[in-house]
Amino acid sequence: MTEPSVAEEIKKMEGEYEPLLPVERKLIWYTFSTGVVLLAIFVFISRWFR
Amino acid sequence: MTNEPTYQAAAPSQGEALAIAQGRVTEDWLAVWIGLFVFALSLALLKGIDLLGWAVTTSVWTAPSKALAPASKHFANLSAPLSLLATYFFLLVVLLLAAKALRADLKRFAAGFTAIFIVSYACWFLGSWAYIAATPDKRPALKIAWSLNLTNESGFIIALLAGLIVGNFLPGLAKALKEAVRPELYIKTGIVILGGFLGIAALEQRQLATSVIFRGICAIIEAYLIYWPIVYFISRRYFGFSREWAAPLASGISICGVSAAIATGSAIRARPVVPIMVSSLVVIFSVIELMVLPFAAQHYLYGQPMVAGAWMGLAVKTDGAAVASGAITDALIRAKALAATGVVYQAGWIMGVSATVKVFIDVFIGVWAFILAWIWSAKIEPRPGEKVRTVEIWQRFPKFILGYVATFLIVLAIGIAAPGLIPKVKASMAQANLFRAIFFLMTFFAIGVLSNFRKLWQEGIAKLAAVYLLCLFGYIIWVGLLISWLFFHGILPPVLKG
Repeated sequence: MTEPSVAEEIKKMEGEYEPLLPVERKLIWYTFSTGVVLLAIFVFISRWFR
Repeated sequence: MTNEPTYQAAAPSQGEALAIAQGRVTEDWLAVWIGLFVFALSLALLKGIDLLGWAVTTSVWTAPSKALAPASKHFANLSAPLSLLATYFFLLVVLLLAAKALRADLKRFAAGFTAIFIVSYACWFLGSWAYIAATPDKRPALKIAWSLNLTNESGFIIALLAGLIVGNFLPGLAKALKEAVRPELYIKTGIVILGGFLGIAALEQRQLATSVIFRGICAIIEAYLIYWPIVYFISRRYFGFSREWAAPLASGISICGVSAAIATGSAIRARPVVPIMVSSLVVIFSVIELMVLPFAAQHYLYGQPMVAGAWMGLAVKTDGAAVASGAITDALIRAKALAATGVVYQAGWIMGVSATVKVFIDVFIGVWAFILAWIWSAKIEPRPGEKVRTVEIWQRFPKFILGYVATFLIVLAIGIAAPGLIPKVKASMAQANLFRAIFFLMTFFAIGVLSNFRKLWQEGIAKLAAVYLLCLFGYIIWVGLLISWLFFHGILPPVLKG
């Protein structure tokens, strides 16, 4: 594939936006919130066992 | 306009994917074998056999004629040029065998490697010049009034700059060197050898080493869970990228650059051009980070050296650039701490934290790709009859980590089982470490050669670059700093003096 077609493809995406599916929203939200909760737990553990 | 430079940037991993598909040996496995080979040769010293003592070492110098020497006193009669030649021929033979296994063009590889070795070692030599390298405590002995205080690791930066000149201004030369420009092979081999070196550090400070490993694991889980969803959301919601582009882009920016982008690309069945475009950006931005972040860390974090090391591992993408940044940060912060506070930290701990964090990040790439593959095939783009196989986790597992863990554990086991051997193990690892430094040097040069900054200005990649720029410098770097701070602040490397 040549680059101009990639450029065109990326430009085309602006007009043909694929809306976020509910499953994508869940993936984003669950991953991020798990990360924040684990962050709190790990920080607590690492301080506790310092 | 062709897409050759982009392909070139991602070439090692592309070749890697093809080699896996064809059941051939990969750079990943070769790095394990080469690293273990050097490690095993160095361990012969435990039996009193000096197999690597002829290798060249470079001291901080004021008179060029006194800069180079063989590593061991057993080879004191060997002249410096012969020691350098022996080191070159040893590496040439070992790497030619690797090139043969990779089915590379041996003549082109030998020529390319020779040029890379000469330029890289010349950069190391220049970086060891006392006016560039000497720390304040060494100036009286060297009889100099001033120095840049950059330590001899400044040779890495000079090698990177030399590589950038070749990659951006001498395309003919870059093309001629291409066969031997293999930063992933060099850095992975260096990391395998580094495992033994860090094993020594762990032996001397077991509690600190355990703490670093635990905190490293904590930090990288956060990298996956906190970085990835936000970058994916930003690229989908605000930049309008399709799922096929957003997922590899999020993995490339968040996790571990080229490998993660390619693993994610194949997990979600993206077309090959997608991870290739992302990979080229990863390489370019890694170089920018490599040139900026270690100096920022030196300026702002010299009081928290381990935070700085973890930050390099979390913020700088690609194995090569991350561990390389750790090496530079290690040198710069130790020099600054000495100049500013008179404290001498033990070398290697800051780089060790960067390597530990990076290695743990790599371990989970396969798991993450597996999770994404399952979500995509079951929920987002279901395809009838298609199943995700758990064996793919192993297939995507970076094998060089096995070598790193092996050298680390072997040194640890020897030290615990026979404490009387620790001084000899230290001497062995010091010899192996000379080759680690050369592999790192060649990595810096090779990264520079592969970084074509003109790509940033080309049509098409600009929008990808905008997401990368925004997420990397607006989010990843700062969250990485916060996470590093939360887990590593207050933890200091062993203090030798001060």
